[in-house]
Amino acid sequence: MSKSAPHISVLTANRLDDGIVVFLDFEGAWNESLAEAVVARDPGEARALEDRGAYDAAHNLVVEPYLVEVREEAGRLIPIRTRERVRVSGPSILDDVPGYSPPLAAAAHPASGQLVEAA
Amino acid sequence: MYRYDEFDAEFVRQRVAQFRDQVGRRLTGELTEDEFKPLRLMNGVYLQLHAYMLRIAIPYGTLSSRQLRKLAHIARAYDRGTGHFTTRQNLQFNWPKLSDIPDILEELAEVEMHAIQTSGNCIRNVTADHFAGATADEVADPRPYAEIIRQWSSLHPEFSFLPRKFKVAVTASPRDRAAIQVHDIGLHLKRHADGSLRFAVYVGGGQGRTPILAKLIRDDLHEQDLLSYLEAILRVYNLHGRRDNIYKARIKILVHEIGADAFARQVEEEWQRIRGGALELPQVEIARIDAYFAPPAFERRPAKATLRAPDRAFDRWVTRNTHAHKQPGYAMVTISLKPIGGIPGDASADQMDAIADLAQQHSFDEIRVTHEQNLVLPHVRLADLWEVYRALKGIGLAEANAGLVTDIIACPGLDYCALANARSIPIAQRISERLAARQDAIGDLKIKISGCINACGHHHVGHIGILGVEKRGEEHYQLLLGGSGAEDAALAAITGPGFGPDGIVDAVEKVVETYLDLRSSAQEPFLAAYARLGAAPFKDAIYAAT
Repeated sequence: MSKSAPHISVLTANRLDDGIVVFLDFEGAWNESLAEAVVARDPGEARALEDRGAYDAAHNLVVEPYLVEVREEAGRLIPIRTRERVRVSGPSILDDVPGYSPPLAAAAHPASGQLVEAA
Repeated sequence: MYRYDEFDAEFVRQRVAQFRDQVGRRLTGELTEDEFKPLRLMNGVYLQLHAYMLRIAIPYGTLSSRQLRKLAHIARAYDRGTGHFTTRQNLQFNWPKLSDIPDILEELAEVEMHAIQTSGNCIRNVTADHFAGATADEVADPRPYAEIIRQWSSLHPEFSFLPRKFKVAVTASPRDRAAIQVHDIGLHLKRHADGSLRFAVYVGGGQGRTPILAKLIRDDLHEQDLLSYLEAILRVYNLHGRRDNIYKARIKILVHEIGADAFARQVEEEWQRIRGGALELPQVEIARIDAYFAPPAFERRPAKATLRAPDRAFDRWVTRNTHAHKQPGYAMVTISLKPIGGIPGDASADQMDAIADLAQQHSFDEIRVTHEQNLVLPHVRLADLWEVYRALKGIGLAEANAGLVTDIIACPGLDYCALANARSIPIAQRISERLAARQDAIGDLKIKISGCINACGHHHVGHIGILGVEKRGEEHYQLLLGGSGAEDAALAAITGPGFGPDGIVDAVEKVVETYLDLRSSAQEPFLAAYARLGAAPFKDAIYAAT
């Protein structure tokens, strides 16, 4: 985490079985929704999340856990980096794929150049 | 087409069983991720941004209808209904569950396919001219040699842990459609003055962080010496290639640092030591492999045909998407996977099934995958073109844009790839939409887009190249001009400061408009105009308002 930025963070990983993006939630479960993620607001809480990620990775629940910096905006969590926003919202390009349903999340959409709410 | 012999079938079957066991042990926790990762990569399984990704090898880009139908089935049964054809003539599925992958590999093995050596520091899938065996301008079908290299390099005990990945491309045409000069080894099969077939051998090309064009180190390699010479190259690389720095580990860095002449001398020394041994290719073995690629039973047909009812869209499609065949009365057909505003290289399961049917009915059961992320029906009767066109139109794949400005290469980018810094596909979609109405007037123009420095989208050799980077956490795009991956291979140069996602589309449009304004005639290609004019007028246009 950046030392100077007042950002908060959440813990993310990919689920072992299917690789889907998940976040550690309030109840200590791995949840597909960023909105349910438990938030670390200081370095101590962040370290605790990292420890939990390492533990769950070692116990084969998830793969490659790491902290994602987020900001709160109107009660919503929004990742700081574009990469993480795309990772949360899913590919921005699959509207025409049969059966594809984008997950609920906020994302920066290049077509509009502004933050949009995915359906 | 090549068919598996008993050895191939058993080898793939054993590998599937082995990987099924490894996946099972990973899911139960017997294997850690650190232990499992190299095993999954050896079987083409990546963990990408959103999910696992499975990369399936399509050797030298040749598929049968049966194989394509199997890929369609896998897309439906195990993925989200779509496959993505890549710049290495492979196919990627973006959403498989790890627990399903052994079943997928077993299904692939049923149609003589696998995902072995589509990742890792080994010799990757050998690519070839997508018109091989059909084009009028080749001296021979290069695919038998690609198949021989595939067999030699599959699980080669000495070359399974190279300093870095290693890519080989083969062509037998003076028109380079396989981008051989940006491969670790590029092979150009030529007819020698004495009538024999010989290879020109290029070494040390590549893109990525350090783009370098390959150097010609031998121009007269006899076909029986192909494997021993390749083995000598790989041995020199394996011995001296750097393992201490991933960014300097490719053979291009070794060739560049010691010089092509010194590298060639070392190869020559090693080759003289092993030449004529077990790796010498007997003519009978070349002929045996060659027989798998024998031309299909073409009919004797007139060189010209009355094609159809009047239809201007069909005329455009014939002009752009069909190509001269060596057999009179036949044509090669490019199926553009670049519908306007579409995702470059994507095909739905329904589209794959329909193309498999077309290949079965009209192209002797064959489909090719191009490194430009299109498909090809290599052997279509001229008299069948109208029917093929109408069928492609019915599945939304009749865009008459092969080689035009909307026929854009784009890597998966940040929409899928864990390594990417910026999205590629939406940029391609927006450029396609922006320039579609003018594409015929613009003419041949290749745009290539990569979402990171690894250059899977070949931006270094685009006439117009775009490189996505991350700047202060946001997507940013550099613009490059003047590259080529063809026989006139050249590396594109960065124009200057980069752009945001909106600005890059505007900048590309300004480059194109500058070209249209300044070209000497409609026949002057973009690269010729760029060479004549230099970068200045293009830079003036794109940076005028900034």
